[in-house]
Amino acid sequence: MTHADSSNPTGHLATAHLASPATATPFVAATNVHKTYRLGRVSVPVLHGADLSVSKGECVAILGASGSGKSTLLHLLGGLDRPDAATSGPITYKGRSLAEFSTHELDRYRNRSVGFVFQFFHLLPELTVIQNTMIPALVGMGRLRYTRERKAINDRAADLLTRFGLGHRLKHRPAELSGGERQRVAIARALMNQPDLVLADEPTGNLDQKTGEAILDVLLALRDEMQQTLVIVTHSQPIAARADRTVRLADGKVV
Amino acid sequence: MYQALLTRRYLFSKIMPLFSAIAVALCTAMVLVTWSVMGGFLNQFIASGRSLIGDVAIAWPHGGLPYYQDLLVKLRDDDAVEAATPTIESLAMISLPSGQRKAVELIGIDPEGFNKVTGFFDTLYWKPLDQPLPSDHERRDIRLDPELRDDLAAAHAAGMAFKRTGEDSTEEVDAIVIGAMLAGANQMTRGRFLDPAFERMWNESVTIGVVPFSTRNVAVDFKYRRFPVANEFRAGMYQADASWALIPIGVLQQMLGMQESREIDPAWRPGRILLSADGTATPEPPRVIGTSPAKITHILVRAKDGITPEELEARCEALFEEFIAEHPSLHLPDSWRRAIYTWDKKPGVANFIGAVKKETALVLVLFGIISLVAVMLVLAIFWAMVSEKTKDVGVLRAIGASRGGIAWLWLRYGLTIGIVGAIAGGILSFIVVRNINPIHEWIGESLGIVVWDPSVYYFSEIPNKVDPTRAAIVIGVGILSSVIGALIPALRAAWLDPVKALRFE
Repeated sequence: MTHADSSNPTGHLATAHLASPATATPFVAATNVHKTYRLGRVSVPVLHGADLSVSKGECVAILGASGSGKSTLLHLLGGLDRPDAATSGPITYKGRSLAEFSTHELDRYRNRSVGFVFQFFHLLPELTVIQNTMIPALVGMGRLRYTRERKAINDRAADLLTRFGLGHRLKHRPAELSGGERQRVAIARALMNQPDLVLADEPTGNLDQKTGEAILDVLLALRDEMQQTLVIVTHSQPIAARADRTVRLADGKVV
Repeated sequence: MYQALLTRRYLFSKIMPLFSAIAVALCTAMVLVTWSVMGGFLNQFIASGRSLIGDVAIAWPHGGLPYYQDLLVKLRDDDAVEAATPTIESLAMISLPSGQRKAVELIGIDPEGFNKVTGFFDTLYWKPLDQPLPSDHERRDIRLDPELRDDLAAAHAAGMAFKRTGEDSTEEVDAIVIGAMLAGANQMTRGRFLDPAFERMWNESVTIGVVPFSTRNVAVDFKYRRFPVANEFRAGMYQADASWALIPIGVLQQMLGMQESREIDPAWRPGRILLSADGTATPEPPRVIGTSPAKITHILVRAKDGITPEELEARCEALFEEFIAEHPSLHLPDSWRRAIYTWDKKPGVANFIGAVKKETALVLVLFGIISLVAVMLVLAIFWAMVSEKTKDVGVLRAIGASRGGIAWLWLRYGLTIGIVGAIAGGILSFIVVRNINPIHEWIGESLGIVVWDPSVYYFSEIPNKVDPTRAAIVIGVGILSSVIGALIPALRAAWLDPVKALRFE
């Protein structure tokens, strides 16, 4: 595992790349990204000129203090939010700017290409564990296709959960699970549609150290197995140390 | 596809959707019960009115219509006419066995002809029954009593013939048939049958008094006559049941001076004395100048199957015109055209029907406005639910759900609640309407509240049928209301910023 800090004097691409030459098209990249939130009349700049480039199959940890813009950057990479139109550079996925994506394409991108893992799990409390896991598949299909692929979807969700040690919890509700179990369900959900980019926002932040490490083991093992690209936002140095590369964010910039 | 799963889960895991569905159900039931009762009342009125009046009435209130047999022949020969019968309508006083005296609408009829036009014989109440009414669970209807069977059969035959043995003889005399609620002797029971409380009217006699008018519109006398009661009728229309009395038309013609008679010279004055050649003084006898034909006030006409009352009305007008042309001596009232009308245009009836239609529309509008409460309630509940589920919306957006998909999730949810609520409301209203008479009686007995006063609403029973078309409309509107109520929260959910939604606490 190699660590490459992002103290690039040019202020542009904050990384050296592990898996691909510097000239190759990055798998996902943010260039000079600006993001400002508005609270009434007050503008709160969160990112101002952040750069990030991630190669395919790479695991990058984004480190930074609270309020540094880590989660915002993750949301922008995942197409959940859009950068400031006037001042921001592009966010690209496989060389194509997300700004060019139609609304439908962006929805499809989030559904098929991206898997989000959140700090607070964000499982749907009314659904069972297996239903929570398979819901990204349901979002991406109509009734007809669901009827046709119902068994395959069910089997895949059950298989993922079994691999995460939750095979006996399929019919349980999230409220009946421990924190670690919930996060494993959330990871299974993120992987349900076999995305090639997994964005994890403090995935261990709400767990004790032992459970957190176990969760990280799961994520990294899956990355190795499925060749997924993994971006993990964390403020934990030990967690970041297990990534291929670490990027530091401070005051809305990669430093 | 996820919408179906989440709708199902949201529906059964929260109490709030239940409240929404209850609100929709109550509003649906309220509107449907109202519409069923008021609309049913109107339909019942229309059906009863037709059965009592026929399809078209030709009225000649100006001293009676002579030569009516000629008009009857024309009518009965016409292809549009099933039957036609003459009647005389007059106000009268009745003296009841209880000593009570009241004004009644006395109608002279030809029983067979009247039955052909109105189906009157079916309304005769006292007759032996083989099976109890569906509502008479305890078989308490005295018409089922084997001991009264012969008595009731006699009353039934008497009611059809308008003949009964007199009070002081065994000879059959002309009899009267009165409305079942006229004498106040019958009580309506919970089983929807009549219970003669203190006397059986079909064994009693009444006295009828009328005031005949001369051709010069002068009240010439007060005529009264005692009639044995042959039977009672129950048409279901309270006005008729409580204030109509029927006697044979010939008898009423006699009482009102409308029978065939000698026509006296108008210049003749009673009391003039004639002196004969031998000096004998004798009263001058009436100078007969001809024969005055028998008269009636109305002809009731029933249309053949497939002929509408309006078509029959037009046909009657044409025939009446021919009839008038053949009898130039008949003085036509200025408004004679209005003397031919379909039963629902009958003076008094038309105004009443119009008023009921307006009242029904008004009540529906009012309840429709009240139903907006349901829309607002669904809106408020959905708004709260969307707020509660903000994080879910953020999660769904994060995993690729579109705005349209999120909006459809909540609209579908509203639709489901609407369907559940409106169908439940439909079922509730069906149960209430079907049992509205027992419920009404129970309220009356328990709380002393009489909502449905038959003297106001004409019928002694509240209409208890739900029209399927109306039910479909009300249920459809109920579902639509729920969807409209869910629309704004659905759009709100769809336009939630997913990042803010995920951070929502």
